[in-house]
Amino acid sequence: MTEGILLGLATAFTMKNIMFVIFGCFVGTFIGMLPGLGPITAIALMIPITYGIDPSSGMILMAGVYYGAIFGGSTSSILINAPGVAGTVATSFDGYPMACKGQAGKALALAAYASFSGGTIAAIFLLVAAPMLSKVSLSFQSPDYFALLLLGLTAVAAFSSKGNFLKSIMMTLFGLMLSTVGTDQASGIERFTFGQIDLLDGISFLLIAMSMFALSEALLSIIGKKAPDEAETPSSNMGSLKLSKEEIKEVAPTVARSSVLGFFVGVLPGAGATIASFLAYGLERNLASAKEKLKFGKGSLRGLAAPETANNAACSGSFVPLLTLGIPGSGTTAVMLGALMAYGIQPGPRLFIDNPEVFWSVIVSMYLGNLVLLFINLPLIPYIARSLDLPKQLLTVLILFFSLIGVYLVSFNAFDIFMMAGFAVIAIGLRLLNFSMSPLILGFILGGMLEQNLRRSMTLFDGEISFLWERPITLTIMCLTALVLLMPLVSTIKSYRAKKSGSEQHSTSA
Amino acid sequence: MNITADKIGALVFFIFSVCYGYYAFQIPLYPGEELEVFSSQTMPKVYAFTAIVISSLALILGFIDDIRNGSHVTTQSKDKFDRVGWMRIASLIGLMVFYGTTLEVLGFITSTILFLILGYLIMGERKIKTIILASVPVVIVFWAIMTQALGIYLTNGSLWS
Repeated sequence: MTEGILLGLATAFTMKNIMFVIFGCFVGTFIGMLPGLGPITAIALMIPITYGIDPSSGMILMAGVYYGAIFGGSTSSILINAPGVAGTVATSFDGYPMACKGQAGKALALAAYASFSGGTIAAIFLLVAAPMLSKVSLSFQSPDYFALLLLGLTAVAAFSSKGNFLKSIMMTLFGLMLSTVGTDQASGIERFTFGQIDLLDGISFLLIAMSMFALSEALLSIIGKKAPDEAETPSSNMGSLKLSKEEIKEVAPTVARSSVLGFFVGVLPGAGATIASFLAYGLERNLASAKEKLKFGKGSLRGLAAPETANNAACSGSFVPLLTLGIPGSGTTAVMLGALMAYGIQPGPRLFIDNPEVFWSVIVSMYLGNLVLLFINLPLIPYIARSLDLPKQLLTVLILFFSLIGVYLVSFNAFDIFMMAGFAVIAIGLRLLNFSMSPLILGFILGGMLEQNLRRSMTLFDGEISFLWERPITLTIMCLTALVLLMPLVSTIKSYRAKKSGSEQHSTSA
Repeated sequence: MNITADKIGALVFFIFSVCYGYYAFQIPLYPGEELEVFSSQTMPKVYAFTAIVISSLALILGFIDDIRNGSHVTTQSKDKFDRVGWMRIASLIGLMVFYGTTLEVLGFITSTILFLILGYLIMGERKIKTIILASVPVVIVFWAIMTQALGIYLTNGSLWS
């Protein structure tokens, strides 16, 4: 492991890669700050740039953008109560009231320190957990992978957009269906191409990511309720960036608890930063004394530190299944998986052996990203926030241009631009009907792997589906999948019963 | 009966799944491939079947909810329809199609400058100075970085060559 860490350090600490991390953090922070634009958009916009550089640098850049976007989301949550990222919604509960009290600087500093601590603790966990899990997963066979992919897809649906389990499943299936467009890799038969030569290679994941996220988000921001330029001026009255010793003492246990919680929630496929931040916030509120509880929602330091720590720790945690099993746990890591696959690198247990420099440099660069955010981004936040004053009418058009040209520069095919316009329309429709986009992108990226592994498993077992239970690992994962599928059902029945008993009580009391 | 976004979504997805399923059965197979355990049609058929089941379930659950809660029309406070905003979105989508059409004909520089200028105008920007400054230099700098620094070819346009 020491060798690996040294290799990671040597790769990440080159001048070029340090510049990439810094650039990534800045761009990520800026995009993350824009309400409505999240880390997926930020990373998707970076992908065309990463095609021209080596895989390690590309991943380092994307990891920097990821961290930056989460931090940028926190900044807009605190300053203008408009979370750019779902994972930072909980940050606004106490961050924004602090900013209203004239403590925006303190809130931002606390958010940065909490993110840094969460990221640091999680990076250490990642350093230990990822290689261990990698070694275990070397024994995985096609049936296990098929079961794991199924678990990943169902877990994302079960956890994403609370209460919308069926909708998320539908989106996952839509993604899987889109992945079947093009030439079948195994037989060479055309599927759903409708005679279009441009569809023979299938739909590129970048095109889907850009149109479903960047384009639709930018377009829908036109009719958004709150535009950054309408909101309060972020740079005015920032207050001091300093925290007192007592305040640090107060939040230290919160940071420790939330880091551990955030990391493990992040490792779970489908959970991610949003759930981690809400869970950490809820946990802190439950642990707080009655007097402290009253402060939550009105500018509590613990209430701000908990979700900030947890969402950063969860970001690191979500890299564990991506790097070790090749299965992304969230929409963001799914986009990264797509980028890696475009490089010809297959993440999974072999990554650790075949491309150790990518594996270790990503882990090391995460820590570097945290350092950059703390020491470079934080002092510059008032200035970065000012750049949000760029008129929305210019910004929207520029985002559209960069998204379109980003995809065009990969394929040099104008047909892709037409497809992007079409998918943007579909995405707008889906968003208006409250469908979540993350399961779609995950389904789209994992579709090919799912089919490949099922095909192999069926061939290995002579067409029998007994592969689902013959191997203990497969059986365990399938049981977990069933559990994840049943979870929303149980919670629906529970809430129905609670509602029923509530209405019965109401009628008897009446 | 309440027509909710959930039900519309489920219905649209149901129709899409049926169409997808129909085309899944139309995927050509090699002779004898239909006897194999796993063919090019297998996954699409599985997806179509699952999608039809899930969307039907979503529709049925929506109707059950209606029956349980009574089919009264709920008065939801909806945001006022932003006509200007939607017009802008539609125009920008049209502009994207225009960009796709002109990119290889007029070339990168001309078509992109046109795209940006028209985009700013659609978005309501009227200051000529701002429009010119935010389009021409952006495109020229971008073109220079791509072609001169990174060595990436950007089309000059079939009209000029």
